[in-house]
Amino acid sequence: MPTRLTTGFAASQSIASVIATKMLSHNRSRFFMTIVGIAIAFFLAAAQIGLLVGWINTNSAIINNTGVDIWVTAEQTATFDYGTPIPRHRVQQVASVPGINWAEGMLVGWATWRHPNGKPINVEIVGLDKSLAGKPAQMLAGDPEIIKQPETVIVDELFRDLLGVWEIGDEAEIQGKRVIVGGISQGVRTFTAAPFVFTSIKNAVTYTPFYREDEISYVIARIEAGADIQAVKSRIQREVSNVEVLTTAEFAERSVKYWMLETGVGITVIITGILGLLVGIVIMSQTLFAITQDHLANYATLLALGFHQNTLRLIVLTQSLTLGGLGIAVGAALFAVAAKASARTPIPLETTTAVSVGLILFSLLFCIGASWFSIRAIFKLDPVSVFHG
Amino acid sequence: MKPITKPEPVLVCRGICKSYGSGDIVERVLKRVDLEFSRGQASVLIGPSGSGKTTLLSILGCLLAPTEGELVIGNGMVDFTNKSSLTEVRRQKLGFIFQHAQLLPFMTIQDNLAIIGRNAGMTAADVDQRLDNLLDRLQLKPMRHKLPSQLSGGQRQRVAILRALLHRPSIVLADEPTAALDWNTGKTVVELLLEQARLEQAVLVVVTHDTRMLPLFDRILSIADGILTEQYQTAALENTFYTHS
Ligand SMILES: Nc1ncnc2c1ncn2[C@@H]1O[C@H](COP(=O)(O)OP(=O)(O)OP(=O)(O)O)[C@@H](O)[C@H]1O
Ligand SMILES: [Mg+2]
Repeated sequence: MPTRLTTGFAASQSIASVIATKMLSHNRSRFFMTIVGIAIAFFLAAAQIGLLVGWINTNSAIINNTGVDIWVTAEQTATFDYGTPIPRHRVQQVASVPGINWAEGMLVGWATWRHPNGKPINVEIVGLDKSLAGKPAQMLAGDPEIIKQPETVIVDELFRDLLGVWEIGDEAEIQGKRVIVGGISQGVRTFTAAPFVFTSIKNAVTYTPFYREDEISYVIARIEAGADIQAVKSRIQREVSNVEVLTTAEFAERSVKYWMLETGVGITVIITGILGLLVGIVIMSQTLFAITQDHLANYATLLALGFHQNTLRLIVLTQSLTLGGLGIAVGAALFAVAAKASARTPIPLETTTAVSVGLILFSLLFCIGASWFSIRAIFKLDPVSVFHG
Repeated sequence: MKPITKPEPVLVCRGICKSYGSGDIVERVLKRVDLEFSRGQASVLIGPSGSGKTTLLSILGCLLAPTEGELVIGNGMVDFTNKSSLTEVRRQKLGFIFQHAQLLPFMTIQDNLAIIGRNAGMTAADVDQRLDNLLDRLQLKPMRHKLPSQLSGGQRQRVAILRALLHRPSIVLADEPTAALDWNTGKTVVELLLEQARLEQAVLVVVTHDTRMLPLFDRILSIADGILTEQYQTAALENTFYTHS
C-alpha cells in the first residue's frame, strides 16, 4: 500500500487553485470582460479617493511647505485661506515667548486681479516675510527673492492662461495697482478656484482691502531644539491675547476638514468612491455566481467523489481573488497612468502608500464578500444529485 | 484465525430501509436490505424502473442516509449524521461511475484524473506512476492531454473507470454506466470495468437495465417492491437469458 497522506490544507489549496484557474480560463471572453469591469470599477473608486487625496494635499500644501512648528492665528480661523487680520506686533510677542527660536509673519488675503484683457479674477494673495517662509517649493523661472521688490509677484505656471501673464516681466493689475511678474512657480494649486499670488507682506497689504498697514494674518514660528511643543503652545496662548495657537499638523487638519466637511465636497467624493466599489462588487458577484451556476453539476460530482465542501469553497474564493486581484491590478495601472497625466494639472489624482494599501485590501475584502452567494449555492449542493444526471 | 475460504466482507448492509416523504405520503423504497460483499466480488443490481436501485447504490456510496439500518465499510460503521466523515469515506474507500462520465469539461483527461488522486491523498509521484499504468491498461494513453469533449462516449466511460479506480478504493459503484452507449461499446466498457476491478480486488456493484450483461458478473441482485433477492448462479442464468430474450 502507498502512504496515504490526508489532504492537508496545502494540498487541497493547490488542487483548488488548479481547478479554479482552469475553470476561469475556460471561458476566456467572460474572464476578460469581468477583469475589465472590475478594473473600471476599481479605477473609479481609486480616482475618487485620488481626487480627495489630491485636494487634501492642495489644501494643506502651503501650510506644510512653510516648514514651521507653530501657527498663531486670529481666533476661530476656519481655514488657511480665510485669514483674519491680527496686529503685526504679535510677531514680536510670540518671538519673546521662551522656547521660541524664530518667528515671522504671513499675510493671506483676497484681491481682484485684472487680466490684461480686462476680465476680473479672484486671487489669493500670500504675503511672505523676510525669510520667505512659505514660498513656492519649485520655481519654473525666477528667484523668489524678487518679491522683495515693489510691485513684484510670483504666479504659478498652472494659471498663466487664466491670469493672462506668461513670462517674467509681464504686467497686470491687482486692485487697480500695477504688478509685474517676477517669477513663475510650479505645482502651487488652489482648492478655491482663486490662484495663489505670492509677494512680500509689504506689497500684499497694499493689494488686500481688508488689511491695514500694520496687520498680518498669521505668526509662524519655530521652537528651540528640544523644546516641548505643547508647553510652548500653551505659553503663547497665555501670553498673547486674542489669538489661537496651533501646531502645523493641527492647522493643516483644520483647513482640510473645513473644505472637506463643511463644504460637503469630501462626502460627495467618498460616496462616489463607495459607489465605484459597489459596482465592482456587483460585477464580481454576478460573474462568480454565473460561473458557479454553470458548474454546479461539476461541483456536485466533485463532492460525490470525495472533495470536501471546504475545498470547493476554496475554489470559489480563489476565483474571486484571481478576478479581483487582476481587476485591481489593471485598475491600479489605469490609476497610475491617470495620476501621472494629471500631475501637472490643477486637479491632480494623488495617493499615499497607506491609502493605496488600504483601498486594495478593502477591495479584496469586497471580493471575498462577493463570493458569498456562490459559496452558499455550493453549500446547498447535495452530492446525491450526481446519480440523477 | 480467519477461515481462508470465507474472506472478511468489505461492505456490509444490515437491515437497511429507506422511505421518501413524510406523513401520509411515505414511499417505502427499500424494506430491510441485508447484504455482504467481499473483496474482488462483482455484483450486478437489476430491477424495474423506480424499484430503488439508485437509492440503494446511493446509500452504499455514503451519499444518502438510510431511514433505518447500518452500513459497515472495512471495519468501521458509517456515521450518516456526519457529512464530513461521509466525505472522508468516499474520498478514501469509494469509486464511482455514473451514466455519463461527468468529467470536468475544462480540464484535460490527465488533470481530471490527477485532482482525484491528489485529493485522495496520493503523492504527485504516486499519481503519475499509477496514471501511466492505468492509462496503459485502459488503452487511453493517446487521450491523456485531450479535453473530455474530444473523446467518444466509450472513451469517456473508460476514463471514468480509471478515475473510479485511481486511488485504489475498496469499493466501486456504477449506476447504469453503459446506458448512454451502444451495445458493443457498452459491453467492452463493462468487461474492462470487471477486469480492472478484479485486478484491483475491489468490490464492484453495477446497476444495469441490460440483461445481456448479467452473465459477466459473479452475483445477480434483484430488487422489486422494496425487497432485494439474490438470483440464480451465473451459469444457469446465462441459458435463461439467452433463451428468453
Ligand atoms: N429524492 C427523492 N424524493 C422522493 N422520492 C424519491 C427520491 N428519489 C427517488 N425517489 C423515489 O424512490 C423510488 C426509487 O427511485 P430510484 O431512483 O432508486 O429507482 P431506480 O431503481 O434507480 O429507477 P431507474 O431504473 O428508473 O433509475 C422511485 O419511486 C422514486 O420516485
Ligand atoms: Mg436509477
